[in-house]
Amino acid sequence: MTRQEIAERVIKVTARELRRNPAEIRESDQFAMELGADSLKSIELVAAFEEEFNLNLVEEEALKVQSVGGAIDFFDKIINKK
Amino acid sequence: MKTYELQDVPQPNLIENIFPYSLPPLIKFEGKIHETIDGKTVEFDPNEVKTRDIHITDTTFRDGQQARPPYKKEQMVKLYEMLSRLGGPNGVIRQSEFFLYTKNDRETIDACRNLNLKFPEITGWIRANKGDFRLVKEMGLKETGMLTSSSDYHIFHKQNQTRKQAMDQYVEVVEAALEAGIRPRCHLEDITRADLPGFVFPFVQRLERLTEKLPDNMKVKIRLCDTMGFGLSYPNAAEPRSIPKLIWRLRNECGVTPDRLEWHGHNDFHKVHINAASAWIYGLNALNGTLFGFGERCGNPPLEGAIIEYIALKGDLCGINLPVITEMAQYYEKEIGTHLAPNYPFVGKDFNTTRAGIHAGGLRKFEQIYNIFDTTTLLNRPPRVSITDKSGTDGVALWVNDFLGLKGEERLSVMKVAKIQRWVMDQYEIEGRMSSITDEELEEQVKINLPEYYKKHHRN
Repeated sequence: MTRQEIAERVIKVTARELRRNPAEIRESDQFAMELGADSLKSIELVAAFEEEFNLNLVEEEALKVQSVGGAIDFFDKIINKK
Repeated sequence: MKTYELQDVPQPNLIENIFPYSLPPLIKFEGKIHETIDGKTVEFDPNEVKTRDIHITDTTFRDGQQARPPYKKEQMVKLYEMLSRLGGPNGVIRQSEFFLYTKNDRETIDACRNLNLKFPEITGWIRANKGDFRLVKEMGLKETGMLTSSSDYHIFHKQNQTRKQAMDQYVEVVEAALEAGIRPRCHLEDITRADLPGFVFPFVQRLERLTEKLPDNMKVKIRLCDTMGFGLSYPNAAEPRSIPKLIWRLRNECGVTPDRLEWHGHNDFHKVHINAASAWIYGLNALNGTLFGFGERCGNPPLEGAIIEYIALKGDLCGINLPVITEMAQYYEKEIGTHLAPNYPFVGKDFNTTRAGIHAGGLRKFEQIYNIFDTTTLLNRPPRVSITDKSGTDGVALWVNDFLGLKGEERLSVMKVAKIQRWVMDQYEIEGRMSSITDEELEEQVKINLPEYYKKHHRN
């Protein structure tokens, strides 16, 4: 899966879970600061990423990711085993 | 001023020589304790407690029963049997005292004796008059406590006696006991409010003279009854409230050996356990307590607290069977019908239950952060979490993993339980709920949101 494909899916899931317009989501956006995810919503978002990519993530590592770009890199690294 | 530099260590220092987790946290001393008595400094060695034969005596069926409806005979026999198992083969719970006044009292003693248990030894309790003493003889007991009130509050205002009349009466009953081959244990009621040099010490010295030629097992025992909970364990507290001074004078000025001294406290000032434990440390051997601290007014030293203290001081279980404490608490709740406060240490429903999400997070990561010792192994009580709007996703994850029995890498992450946590939060934020989420409700949520895990791991 290319980074672009991963980015599209991360933004789609983020928009759905945080009720945002996908066109307005930037890679630099922080989930908490810019997109308004509280602690439970952040966990629900990671859970949604798990379902989207069919992965079982390590909690400590997954919850460290704070931005949209960070999430794209995170899944790119896992999926493409970089 | 001494300067302390940060030691940025690669591994955590969990101070396991004091907090072994496999035992209650240990109590260690680093030096002698000093007390001023008559203007001179006297020394106590607290480490002596490690080798001295300290033990627990039980008064659940005497003082413990004075403050509640009477126990049924079967209940007392069951509790006596559990006390024996709890204290173990070394007799950490050495004796238990019983009333002798009613037919039920006497039948209970017979039933307990029929169990043929070595510990706790059954002793009696009587008022200091010869008529009552007959009951002890008839029951064939080897030792009895007798009420020998020591303060002028009791002697003058309750007994309408002079000090000499009181002392003569007490000694008369002690002599009768000795003549019958029964060891007397004088309960010096209200000793922490008594004129010590004017009555208590002369009385104790007279008792010592009376038994000086008798074998050790017949010498008089002295129970120090802090009847109103006035005793103080603080260094250099004034007499008669000072526990250190009282014990020191009885040992050094009256010649009473530690094996014949016993502390009996009351909790009127929230000092009951620390006073009793301090009495051990300051040099007497017997700590008198009751199960769960039930006793007159605010209660007596809680026996199960003394058991934990004993292990902490000795650094070893010494044959104590700790899970029996949990069994006893369940027996009180289910069979006797006595409710124990949820926050009561070691046995209350919530004693190791957290409601705070941040604590639940700590428990999930490393149980020892928020559990006092290995309560699962030692008390059959795994740490738990109670789910509310404050317990967080960590709390739900802890509950679910505990419920499904998942350990190590099998444990579910917070992501896997996020839907359950959303349901919990909706209960409070949308439904306006004010109570905790019940176990049954959570189980239902596991069934709905984690059906594959419920099917695979739930044990009916």
